[in-house]
Amino acid sequence: MFLTSVLLSTVGALVALLTGRSESTAKILGCSIGAFASLLALMSGLQALFGPVATFSSGTLFFDFSLRLDPLAGVLVSVISTLAFVAWVYGFSYFDDYKGKGIGAMCFFMNLFIASMDLVITSDNAFWFLVFFEMMSLTSYFLVVTDQDKASILGGFMYLVMAHIGFFMIMISFFIMAGITGSFDFSVFRAAKFDPGIASLIFMLAFLGFGFKAGMIPFHSWLPQAHPAAPSNVSALMSGGMIKIGIFGIIKVGFDLLGASGCQLWWGIVVMLFGAVSSVLGVMYALGEHDIKRLLAYHSVENIGIILMGVGVALIGWAIAQPVLTVIGLMAALYHLINHAMFKGLLFLGAGSVLYSTHTRNMELMGGLSKAMPTTAICFLIGSLAISAIPPLNGFVSEWFTYQGLITVAMTGDGIVKTVCAITAVALAITGALAVTCFVKAYGVTFLGAPRSDEARAAKEVPGPMKFAMVFLAVICIALGVCAPRIVPVLTSAAAATAGQAVAGTTAGIALVNPVIDSTISTPLLAVLLIAAVFVPWLIIKGKSKGGVKNTPDPWACGYNPTPDMPLQASSFAGTVHMFYGPLYQMRDNLVAKSPAFKTFFAGLSNWADKAQNWGDIALVNPTSKFVHWLSRVSSKLEGGDFRVYIVYVVIALVFFLVLAVTVR
Amino acid sequence: MGEIIIALIQGILLVLLAPLVSGVTRWFRAKMHTRKGPSIWQDYYDIAKLFKRQDVHSNQSSFISRLMPPLFMGTMIVLAMGMPMMTRLCPIPLLGDAILIIYMLALPRFFFALAGIDSGSSYAGIGSVRELVVGTLVEPSLMLALFVAALSCGTTNIGVMGQMVASGQCANPIAMSLAGIAFAAACYIELGKLPYDLAEAEQELQEGPLQEYSGPSLAMMHLAMPMKQIIVVSWLVAIFLPFGSAVDLSLTGLLFGALFFVLKVAVIFFICGIIENVVCRVRFKLTSRQTWFVLAIAVCAFAFCVLGI
Repeated sequence: MFLTSVLLSTVGALVALLTGRSESTAKILGCSIGAFASLLALMSGLQALFGPVATFSSGTLFFDFSLRLDPLAGVLVSVISTLAFVAWVYGFSYFDDYKGKGIGAMCFFMNLFIASMDLVITSDNAFWFLVFFEMMSLTSYFLVVTDQDKASILGGFMYLVMAHIGFFMIMISFFIMAGITGSFDFSVFRAAKFDPGIASLIFMLAFLGFGFKAGMIPFHSWLPQAHPAAPSNVSALMSGGMIKIGIFGIIKVGFDLLGASGCQLWWGIVVMLFGAVSSVLGVMYALGEHDIKRLLAYHSVENIGIILMGVGVALIGWAIAQPVLTVIGLMAALYHLINHAMFKGLLFLGAGSVLYSTHTRNMELMGGLSKAMPTTAICFLIGSLAISAIPPLNGFVSEWFTYQGLITVAMTGDGIVKTVCAITAVALAITGALAVTCFVKAYGVTFLGAPRSDEARAAKEVPGPMKFAMVFLAVICIALGVCAPRIVPVLTSAAAATAGQAVAGTTAGIALVNPVIDSTISTPLLAVLLIAAVFVPWLIIKGKSKGGVKNTPDPWACGYNPTPDMPLQASSFAGTVHMFYGPLYQMRDNLVAKSPAFKTFFAGLSNWADKAQNWGDIALVNPTSKFVHWLSRVSSKLEGGDFRVYIVYVVIALVFFLVLAVTVR
Repeated sequence: MGEIIIALIQGILLVLLAPLVSGVTRWFRAKMHTRKGPSIWQDYYDIAKLFKRQDVHSNQSSFISRLMPPLFMGTMIVLAMGMPMMTRLCPIPLLGDAILIIYMLALPRFFFALAGIDSGSSYAGIGSVRELVVGTLVEPSLMLALFVAALSCGTTNIGVMGQMVASGQCANPIAMSLAGIAFAAACYIELGKLPYDLAEAEQELQEGPLQEYSGPSLAMMHLAMPMKQIIVVSWLVAIFLPFGSAVDLSLTGLLFGALFFVLKVAVIFFICGIIENVVCRVRFKLTSRQTWFVLAIAVCAFAFCVLGI
């Protein structure tokens, strides 16, 4: 079924390309074949999640082309195919906005993009894994540059460079394993026992390499440039699906491929600290954004951080021989991975709908859209609540398990583990509070208050397929939260299978349980109680009150006539938060006033910080992009378009091969 | 069964007694100012009167403004059902997880702030931002203090934490008491009393995000705000000052538990009353200095916890 789906995606891609002349035909054919293929992939993913491991293998010219659908791959395939299905349905209307920009080509690349993501997840051979990984990067690059404007080309180039640096690291890590074992098959890697030093090298290379793909700080800079530039349903796929392949890779290398070699304690600590930094800085940067899609892209950095915290818990649990903790951490990470895919997909589609009706991404120009676009507004609100980890929605469940993992690991670990866990837990708390702030801003400034521009005043609700796509994801978000006691056991067994541990009892009836310290919560109970406790008082008061409701007066503006620019804007939030979380600036200013030595010290420090801030860019991206520039300059000298030069090349090549042939003889 | 009845009683009593708490606070403030002041029942009169009035919302507001007051109140009722008040353990243990409580408090905050923006009034909006930002400043201290408590007691359920503290079983008593101090300070900021009533600090910001509210909606919020204060105080009491609460469900135990609970809460509100009437409001910009100080106390508690004392 899985192969059929992949083949169908390829067919869909080709059909869309061939019918590219007539854009509406290409759109309808491409989208419907794609949607059908993703439904098939979803079924095979769910099958893998519940059923036995399915494998497929066939010899090819170079290496065995083998696929393996284990529970971990099942989770990823299900997530990506759900998102893909929704993105295709959304595309039925949304692609209308891209008439004249080659809808056929877009459907072509999107179909291939989804197929290559599915194949990366299931590949059981390092060579094919790398091939499909590369294909995924290239197809998504073409989707990013769809708009063909300066921002998208710049973002696309940045993305391409960063993706390849990550790719090289992953490649080296796989080549080390292949060099030692003498085979490219993952099954051989899985059985091999590597030296701890080599294993650490492999893991760190893979962690950093996949970290580029996942967009963790400090390798995040491509993410807020590339994701907003792509069409919104592609952004949803990239932010919800593709960056998860980075996480998938880290889990796959750490737990699956290096499974026989054991794990070092410091891997877990490093992963956890990267997670803590990514989550806090991600949400901080998001708060400063006025572009709604960039804001969401930065939130992906934050959520990747939260997922990494779970992975860190699992690694530490494994290193200190606490299998239950490994399972809890990995389950929390997988749960958050699914949740983030769903609510981030929903939010990107919501942002896409806003973009579709107002043709701007600048939140300062929106406002009051909840009256014109009620369905979009409600869906965006549900997504905002879910991403802010408000109980009983899905974000809360996975963050609760992450907290439980952190606390339980801290109980069993030594002083260093305790400290790292405490830092991470505090980081998660700050992240949670800032995420609430950020999404009150995102929802409030976009959908509430008065319209602040003519575009916002003229906004209309989006067409049916787009509404369906958003409502579909919103329902999934609620279901993943309220029905958590049904979903957690499935993920627990997937996590246990991935880590090769026994299943831990993470649910009991309607309760979610941390089996180590017997902490319990229950989202269904909470949902029922909340609904009852909100509606009973509301009905009583509604029945008693006699005054009625009046909705006419202007808001109070200190006696002036209220104007649309008076209420809060995006910058009001950014400014206030900057005021408090620039404590370093404050400290610097205070100290500078007292001593010139401090002044120079801080000048040096801030210079250093300026540089260190994007050392990822300076050390890795800039040289690479310089190298590419240099290469293109040199190559432009080599082939100036003069046919005589080409003749010279051909002659040189002929002579070279003649000499070679003679000497070999 | 008994636990469910206690939970329901706690929820209903919270609604009924909340105006008394705010009334007594007002009366106490008047006494501190050597004024005669209103009767302690004044808030009941105010709320009853507001319920009769028309519910006026600004013309820019959406369903958020109407949803927020019942949602705020409902969340507090649900929290009250899980909070150990007269009993030592949580009446409904599934609602007594410390992390759940922190995130449950984020739900009303989200809508409270959103309602301020929804009204379209610029001043209510400023109140909203302040409310949220103060929340982000308090959250780390709350979390770290709870983290220390969880490590020392080996659980995240606040009822079990209280039991461990009361029976002297918690692993690191010094760390635990320091965490209690940090937690109390963080809770005080969370109460929104002077000097930290920043959401409604300036004259134009009077009532903060509630600025555009009127009639029954405002009445509900006047009911809900003291409810939140009681919830936050009982949270502190349940974990760090569980002494005297009922260990079983016997009638005398429950009566004494209730009596002790009222006494403890009264003492805490008395202390809060003194603090809020002798200090002047903190400058909004400088709030973070004090919240970082609270975090520093929590960090000390954590250090002691790692050292095992």
